[in-house]
Amino acid sequence: AADKIRLIPQDFFAELCEQIIQHLNNKIPGINTAELCQRIQTSGVDISIGDLAKIANTLSFLFSTAARNNLSTEELITTLGSGGSTLPKHAVQVIRHVWNEQGKAVAVSEDAGSMATVGQFVDMKWKLGVAMSSDTCRSLKYPYVTVTLAVADSSGQITDKSFEMTIPQFKNFLRQFKEMASVLETV
Amino acid sequence: MAALRDGDFAALQILLKAPSKDAVRQLCQECFSSPPAALGPLAQRACPGLAVSNEEAEQLVSALHNLTRHVVYRGLTRAEDILCLFPENFHQNLKNLLTKIILENISVWRNEAQASQISLPRLVDLDWRVDIKTSSDSIARMAVPTCLLQLKIQEDAALCGNNPVVSALTVELSKETLDTMLEGLGRIRDQLSAVANK
Repeated sequence: AADKIRLIPQDFFAELCEQIIQHLNNKIPGINTAELCQRIQTSGVDISIGDLAKIANTLSFLFSTAARNNLSTEELITTLGSGGSTLPKHAVQVIRHVWNEQGKAVAVSEDAGSMATVGQFVDMKWKLGVAMSSDTCRSLKYPYVTVTLAVADSSGQITDKSFEMTIPQFKNFLRQFKEMASVLETV
Repeated sequence: MAALRDGDFAALQILLKAPSKDAVRQLCQECFSSPPAALGPLAQRACPGLAVSNEEAEQLVSALHNLTRHVVYRGLTRAEDILCLFPENFHQNLKNLLTKIILENISVWRNEAQASQISLPRLVDLDWRVDIKTSSDSIARMAVPTCLLQLKIQEDAALCGNNPVVSALTVELSKETLDTMLEGLGRIRDQLSAVANK
């Protein structure tokens, strides 16, 4: 991972670390790896989303382990150095800065939500559409609902999942959620 | 796209050699449901029953496929409209039989066409469970209700052919995030009612 980190410009690397720390502090629901990757690529750097995800994973693990062991900034930097592979200077600088500013806060927050082994729901976007015509039916007028769920995985990284529902399916979907909500109320 | 060609109606008359009306019915259904690429094998299977050459079987199967798909594409629902498609000198009884079979199947076929058109992955199943988190290694006692949701999503059928890929997405929701979801869903429902009333 160290050689890929080398590719990321300092300001993007700082942004990534910021998001990771804020996620560990429960200030934001997840890390927007996909969006960040796109901006990095647009700036001319050739890095794949898979590589960026691995880096985010590694950094997340690094910060959360450091928090659990109550490491000071110097101790963290020393651990980094002894890891074997050498991180580029600018990366170390960013980590030092981010940990100095926000490292303490990570140790403090305890939340039932941080035990997540399944994806955490972040957001839902939707669209109601009508398919007018297709190569199989000239006059369709077929209504459908498209939903995109943003889900944060256990390392905090957000991925989108999109799917379609027919109207009867949507009505059932809504009914199930109302059911869930009423069970959550009474429990 | 199903466009009727001149040779199609001539080929359809091969059906006069079919052993029974049910055989014709079955063949119509298979020809509609079959994608163009699978028509060849279908013709080979139909050959023996019709006592025709492979080439004739292929022409017939292709013609039936085009005719049935054309009717669904145009959205024809009345007998008169379907009867008009046939040329003047076409065998009367066969024409009536085919029209009858098509009318019997038209709404099933329309649904099939809608279900197989291109789309985003579709939701096929939804399961959920409400849990209470009672303790963890960092918090000894708590009572946090949480919702586990599993969505089964099938990738676009047209891309997967006969082996649709179904992926499961498991998501956890807290009371707050569930409320956010419900709010969004409520807005969709409002929009649906607004559109339905137009």
